[in-house]
Amino acid sequence: MFRTRAGAAAGAFLLATSLALTACSGSGSDDKNSGSDAKTLTLWHYEGPTSAMGIAWNKAIDIFKQKHPGVTVKFEEKSFEQIQQNAQMILNSDSAPDIMEYNKGNATAGLLSKQGLLTDLSDQATQRGWDKKLSNSLQTTAKYDDNGIMGSGKWFGVPNYGEYVMVYYNQDMFKKYNLQVPATLDDFTKVMDAFKAKGITPLSVGGAEYPAQQIFYELALSKADRSFVDDYQLYKNKVDFHGPQLTYGAQTFSDWVSKGYIAKNSAGIKAEDMGVAWEQGKFPILISGSWWYGRFASEVKNFQWGTFLFPGNSLHPGSSGNIWVVPEKSKAKSLAYDFIDITMSPEIQNLLGNSGGVPVAADASAITDAKNKELIDNFNKISSQDGLAFYPDWPAPGYYDVLVAGVQGLINGSKTPAAFLDEIAKPYNQNLTDIGK
Amino acid sequence: MTVTASPPQAPATRETPEAAERRNPVRFAILIALLVLLLLVVAPLLVVLLNAVKSPSDYASHGPLALPSHLYWDGIVTFWNRVNFGQKLWNSFLSSIVVAVLGVVLSILNSYALGIGKVKGRVWFLVFFLVANLLPQEVLVYPLYYLSKQIGLYDNLISIVIIFTVIQSAFGTYLLTSVYAEFPTELLDAASVDGAGKWRTLWRVVVPVSRPTLGVLFTFFFIWTWNEFFLPLVFLVSNDNQTVPVALSVLQGDRLMDATTTSASALLGILPAMLFFVIFQRTLTRGITAGAIK
Repeated sequence: MFRTRAGAAAGAFLLATSLALTACSGSGSDDKNSGSDAKTLTLWHYEGPTSAMGIAWNKAIDIFKQKHPGVTVKFEEKSFEQIQQNAQMILNSDSAPDIMEYNKGNATAGLLSKQGLLTDLSDQATQRGWDKKLSNSLQTTAKYDDNGIMGSGKWFGVPNYGEYVMVYYNQDMFKKYNLQVPATLDDFTKVMDAFKAKGITPLSVGGAEYPAQQIFYELALSKADRSFVDDYQLYKNKVDFHGPQLTYGAQTFSDWVSKGYIAKNSAGIKAEDMGVAWEQGKFPILISGSWWYGRFASEVKNFQWGTFLFPGNSLHPGSSGNIWVVPEKSKAKSLAYDFIDITMSPEIQNLLGNSGGVPVAADASAITDAKNKELIDNFNKISSQDGLAFYPDWPAPGYYDVLVAGVQGLINGSKTPAAFLDEIAKPYNQNLTDIGK
Repeated sequence: MTVTASPPQAPATRETPEAAERRNPVRFAILIALLVLLLLVVAPLLVVLLNAVKSPSDYASHGPLALPSHLYWDGIVTFWNRVNFGQKLWNSFLSSIVVAVLGVVLSILNSYALGIGKVKGRVWFLVFFLVANLLPQEVLVYPLYYLSKQIGLYDNLISIVIIFTVIQSAFGTYLLTSVYAEFPTELLDAASVDGAGKWRTLWRVVVPVSRPTLGVLFTFFFIWTWNEFFLPLVFLVSNDNQTVPVALSVLQGDRLMDATTTSASALLGILPAMLFFVIFQRTLTRGITAGAIK
C-alpha cells in the first residue's frame, strides 16, 4: 500500500516538474515584449485592509479592472516578514509577482536593484510624469545607483505615501494645566517643565525600539541643515560625530533624561507599549511617526488630541513610504506600470488622504476631514521645503541595533554623550570603508 | 508539558512509602511550586484569550491585562476571512498528517535496519542522523531553495512534506534505533522459527510490539510540523499554499502591531494543535508507561 502511494507521488512529482519546466521555457521567450497582452496581474502588498493604504489600493484595483476589462487581478496580502526575509529568493524564481510593495532603502530595494532583480522604471517615470509629482526628498528613496545606494541613478520604485515624525499631544491635559502648543524648542522645554512640576513625566518613550533614536535624531536635526543630512545619509562628505549637530542631539537627549522629561525605565519600553501608555492618558506627549495617526484616530476615545511639528525644526525624520517595484521577472510589466499610474492619480491619492494616510501627490483642498488635512498640510510643508531627513538607522546595515543599544545607554545613564557618539561612529565608519567611500 | 506533571498510577506497587510521604511538608512545597509553574505556563494563554475577545479601543484605553468590557468576536471573524483561514487549516493539516505518517514509516524502516538488523557502521549512521537533526534550518535554506527550484517544487506543499519527512525521521530514526536495539531477541527468534522472513517479522512482530512508541513519534511529528514557521515561510510563497503559522505572521507590520487581532489569530493558531494534543494525550502517556514496563 505504501509502495503504491510512493509510486503515485513520484509520478505526480515528475509530472509537476516537467510542467514547471515547460512553463518557464514558454514564458521566457516572449518576456521581453513586456507582456502587454498578459491576462493576469499578480499583485502583492502587506498593508492591512483597513489601513489607509489598504483602502486606497483596493480602490485602485477596482479602477484598474474597469480600465482593463479582460485582465484578472490576482491580489495576495503578504506578511511584512515574508517579504523582508525572502524577497530575494522569490524574485529570483518563477513565483515572482508582477508588481509588489517593497521596503525602500539601501539594504532592501537598493540591494535587489544591484542584483538585477528589479525593473528600471526611469522611462516610465518621465513619460507618465511621476517625477513631477514627487518632491526631491521623496525621490531619494525611489532612485538607486549601480551600487544600490539611494539618492541618484535609475528609478526602481515609486512611493505612494509619505511618513514623518511629529509630536502628538493630549489636548485635555494641555488645557488642564493651561499650556499652549509650543512654537520653539525653548517653549517646548517650558511645557515639559510645567508637566514635570505637576509630577507628570511629559514624554512617552519606547527606548527598546525605534522611538528613542528618532528623538535623538530630531534633536540633532534642530542644529543641522540639508548638507548634514546629505553627508550622513548619502555619504557626500565625512560626518564628524563630535560635530555640533550630533553632540547637541546626544547632550540634549541626555539632559532630557536627567531633567525627568524621559522616564529612566523607558529604556525597556517597546514602541507598542509607548503608544498604548499615551492612549491611556498616562503621558501628555508622544514623539513618533505618522504611522500611528490612523490608529490613534480610531482608538483614542477618552480625550481630545492633536499634533504639531517638532518645534523650531525645518528638518524632520521621515521619508517616502514603501515603494511599488516591478520585478525583472514580471510577466505583465506594462500592466504593472498602468497600475502604478492609477495609484498616483488624484482620485486614489485623495482617498489615501481621506482615510488617514499621508499621500504624496494629493490635492489638499480635496481632503475633507479637518484632522487629516492638518496631517497632510504638515507633510506638504515639510516636503516642499525639502525637509525630510530620513531615519537615523538608514546609513549602515545593522545600524538600528547599534542605535537602540546606544540610546538605551543614554537613558539609563550608563554612557556619557561622548561615549555614545564614539560607539555609534564606529559601525558607521566601518560601513563607509566597506562600500569604498 | 502537562503530561510530565501528572505521574500515572504508580502508588499501587509501593504503599508504605507513599503514606509516609503524604505527611512530608516537602510534598506541599513541591505542590505549590508546581502550581506556580502551571500558572506561569497558562498565563500567556490567558492573556491571549483575554485580548482575543476585546475590542481595539477597549485595549487602547485599558491596556492588555484588563478584563474586556464586552465580548467582541469581530477580531476572530475578520481575521478568519482576511486570510481565508479554512484553507490554511487544511494545508497545515494535510502536510502535518502526511509528514507524520511518512516520517514514522521511514523511521521504522531505518531503525529496523540499524537497531535490529545491526548494519555495519551503524554508530556512524546514527551520528550522521543526529548531526542532520542538529543543523539549524537557516543553514539548509539556500541549498534547499536551489534544489526545489531546479525540480520545480518551490512554492509547493510537496517540498515542505519532503523536507520535514526527512528532518523528522532523522530524529525518529535516532530515537527508535535505541528502542529497537533493546528489542527482546526471544520474539525475533520465535518469529524466525515460525518461518517469518525479515519483512514479515517487521510488520507482524516489531511494529505491533512497538506501537505505543510509534504513537508518540506520530504525535510529536504532527505537532512539530504543525508549528514549523521558518521553512514554510520561505517555501510557501502563494497564499493558497500557506500553513497556519505563516498566515498568522500577516498581522505583523513594519512598525505597528494590532494587538487584539494578533491575539485572535494566536488563539485560532494554537487551538488545533492543543486539540490534537488533548486527543492524543492518552497515546503519549501509554507510550511512556509501555516503555517503562517492558
